[in-house]
Amino acid sequence: MFQQIIALLVIAFLLERTYRQHQKKLIGKNELWFWIVFWISASFAVIFIKQIDALLRSLGFSATGINFLLYISIVAIFYFIFRLRLRVEKLEKSLTRLTREDALKNFKK
Amino acid sequence: MDNSKIFIIIPAYNEEKNIGAVLDKLKPYGYSVAVVDDGSSDRTAAIAALHGVDVLRHRVNRGQGAALETGNQYALASNAEIIVHFDADGQFLAEEIFSVVEPLLDGQADIVFGSRFLGIRSKIPAVKKYLIFPLARLINRLFFDVGLTDPQSGFRAFLASAAQDLAIENDGMAHCSEILAKAYGHSLRIKEVPITVLYTRFGQSFGGGFRILADLLISKLISK
Repeated sequence: MFQQIIALLVIAFLLERTYRQHQKKLIGKNELWFWIVFWISASFAVIFIKQIDALLRSLGFSATGINFLLYISIVAIFYFIFRLRLRVEKLEKSLTRLTREDALKNFKK
Repeated sequence: MDNSKIFIIIPAYNEEKNIGAVLDKLKPYGYSVAVVDDGSSDRTAAIAALHGVDVLRHRVNRGQGAALETGNQYALASNAEIIVHFDADGQFLAEEIFSVVEPLLDGQADIVFGSRFLGIRSKIPAVKKYLIFPLARLINRLFFDVGLTDPQSGFRAFLASAAQDLAIENDGMAHCSEILAKAYGHSLRIKEVPITVLYTRFGQSFGGGFRILADLLISKLISK
């Protein structure tokens, strides 16, 4: 119970930080909504951790709810890293295009 | 053909020690020479400019593939008829450019690759000869169904009319495999000729090879 309250407090803190970042226009509306949905889902998972335990047992998994959440988060992190890698690659391509245009435009015989 | 219609593209990154000698050796042939200084922090661009060749400058380092493509576009805009890719570190010989270009002039090929494994003997470090190159050849075969003797040849020449088909998208070292794959993909007439490679230093390390592989995979993923 105590751990769940701490987890919920941490989530509330992170939600507030995200909202502030949005107010400072550091993140867009879509990203704000993404994080709101993400953290609210996380808080549900924290609140209903016992039910998740029971569900996992009924499905035949030996892992407890908290382990299961960890697995899910690692999968999510891998996915985000992959997305980031692609995004960085696209930025690199844009940078190359700009650098090339600049080189060709500023060429003097 | 007038040699000034043959454009030698030299990508250079921090090559102040070698670029002068390379340009001196190219001078007697009357080719059009363009150095693409890829964001060097040394005097590469200044030395190249002193030699009276065309110098294009990347403000930031973008990699050899990116520099070559900048050179290609410059050559095309300057009405080149043949484009030659050449190295700035002095590992290729200026006198061999003609034999690489010859099949293009004779109408036998659209693109010619210099190969250090045909005829002329280059002193190839054993690790490269027996480990890295066989692996690179295998990857080229598996990924692109390409079977040339020199998988990472940086000495190549092609007709300007083929340049559009060969537009380089890989900024780093993966462009070698990319050019091979595009030449095959567009059914260009391909020829290999023997060249000499002087090993001034170890080029691609084993880690570099893996980096190339990663670049190729990523470029496959994000290509439309």
